[in-house]
Amino acid sequence: MPSGPESRLRELLAQLPTATKAVEDRALAAALAALPPAGARRRRPLRTAFLVAAGVVLLLAVSAGALAAAGALHVSLGGSERSARQPAPIVPRLIVPRGARGIAAVVDGRLWFTSRSGLRIEGLPVESAALSPHALYVAAGIGDSLVVMAPNGTRAWSHPAGGRVVGIAWAPSGLRIAYVVQTTSGGVQLRTIEGDGDHDRVLDAAVRPVPPSWRADALAVAYVGAGGHPVVYDFGRRAHHVVAGDRLGETTRITFAPQGRALAIGSAGRLWISGVGRVPARGGDFSPDSIAGLAWIGDEIAVGLNGPSKRAAVQLVGLAKNGATVRGKRLDVSGEITALDARGGRVVLALRRHGLPTRLVASTAPDRPARTVLLDVGAGSTVGELAVR
Amino acid sequence: MVENHGDAVLIRAACGGDHDAAAALFRRHWQPAWRVAYGMTGRRALADDIAADAFERAFAALNRFDRRRPFAPWLHRIVVNRALDLLRAERRLVGGEPGPEPAAGLELDGGDLELLEAVRSLPLQRRAVIILRYGVGMAPTEIARVLDVPIGTVNSRLARALEQLRGDYEVSDAERT
Repeated sequence: MPSGPESRLRELLAQLPTATKAVEDRALAAALAALPPAGARRRRPLRTAFLVAAGVVLLLAVSAGALAAAGALHVSLGGSERSARQPAPIVPRLIVPRGARGIAAVVDGRLWFTSRSGLRIEGLPVESAALSPHALYVAAGIGDSLVVMAPNGTRAWSHPAGGRVVGIAWAPSGLRIAYVVQTTSGGVQLRTIEGDGDHDRVLDAAVRPVPPSWRADALAVAYVGAGGHPVVYDFGRRAHHVVAGDRLGETTRITFAPQGRALAIGSAGRLWISGVGRVPARGGDFSPDSIAGLAWIGDEIAVGLNGPSKRAAVQLVGLAKNGATVRGKRLDVSGEITALDARGGRVVLALRRHGLPTRLVASTAPDRPARTVLLDVGAGSTVGELAVR
Repeated sequence: MVENHGDAVLIRAACGGDHDAAAALFRRHWQPAWRVAYGMTGRRALADDIAADAFERAFAALNRFDRRRPFAPWLHRIVVNRALDLLRAERRLVGGEPGPEPAAGLELDGGDLELLEAVRSLPLQRRAVIILRYGVGMAPTEIARVLDVPIGTVNSRLARALEQLRGDYEVSDAERT
């Protein structure tokens, strides 16, 4: 540099571009949401006040109990009969269903997550999301990065993915994550990365943008190949294996059983099971209904079905010893199913209902109607992804 | 007007739940932080991510921040460390750093463009001191605090970076003539 390198650098670096307003606004909102609660340092005085208040309440309760025993005061616990008959209230905060450790839903491109460990996320813009096996961590596609959030709500790590992360699956061992990326160059890749954010690698450079699924032993991952066929990559053999070939048509969803090697494969209206017994793959036809979700519930599969005349149902499908599908109970539901998962013997459904809030509901048993409301969001909203662990 | 208050006052108010004060603090430091991230990476998307992440981390830890110290070096330390982490991880994964995107909106002549390319091809630690010194205008003592290295290390990195830039520039200048 012949003259004044420092001043030249200053002038040059002063011309660097600036962030866009939209990026700034998003970052500001996220930063404000990260602020610690007001007065977080004053925990002890609050705790003392709380203990004093609790003592007063206890004294009052003992006094009230004594009066009630003497017949001078009527004491009742729980809601009144009148309130029990009122319509179910709107549930604005996501609730973890019984038998589960955590639940995540992507509603109109925003993540709702809550876990029994206390982590809660409401409305974070994401492309896709998945839970770790014990629902302690959440992996999400945010911008062009794969981000993992820790149980304390901070980012455990973030990895530049080179494009939008459109599908994520956490291995049952918790040690690896498979994810599908729509790269900025227009391709769609299946990649895997270690649970600590290291050792990212491409498994298949041309796949369909469908979330992958891990086998129970975490030694194989299923995904939809570029031709629309289900493919299983076996890490032990380092080999790709195309399942079902041309018979199935365009695969739209795949899910391995929580135990064993059975793989449920769904297309628009057909369900196929692979990896059971010695038969290559067996299936069932549900058309004209369309499959809106698949989830294993024990040895059965819960199939979310949307009918042509706005009828929806959850069809339970069992497996015979030879791998053939056997239809079980069918439960009609009101609304359109947009996502479905199952955990702890309960089916969880996302229902889009005409003129009413979109609702997440859980059943009390696999073959009973879904009754527990887990979340209500705005009418017309779509739950694109749902994961219960 | 909260905008007129010093950083320490804004931080105290933000810790007390005043979102206007927190927003004023954010706006005061957002663009410099983003420019550091962009200067380090040469890529908008990565700079967006790094700067936003740095603010989230900084705001989440705001009640632990020592208000007697200046805020900017602390924030820039988070930005630089995050950028270094990401770029190193990227190098490890893809065997190198992807080329910077074209500097859209910049009207630079050939010499300046080459100088910018030369800055972007500096080793990460040297690039960091150049960006902090000439992009943000920090004194070497502040840079030492940001990078958590002795002042002598900062001075030697600056000298070597300038020497390398001078060499690159002279080589490209000779090629042009």
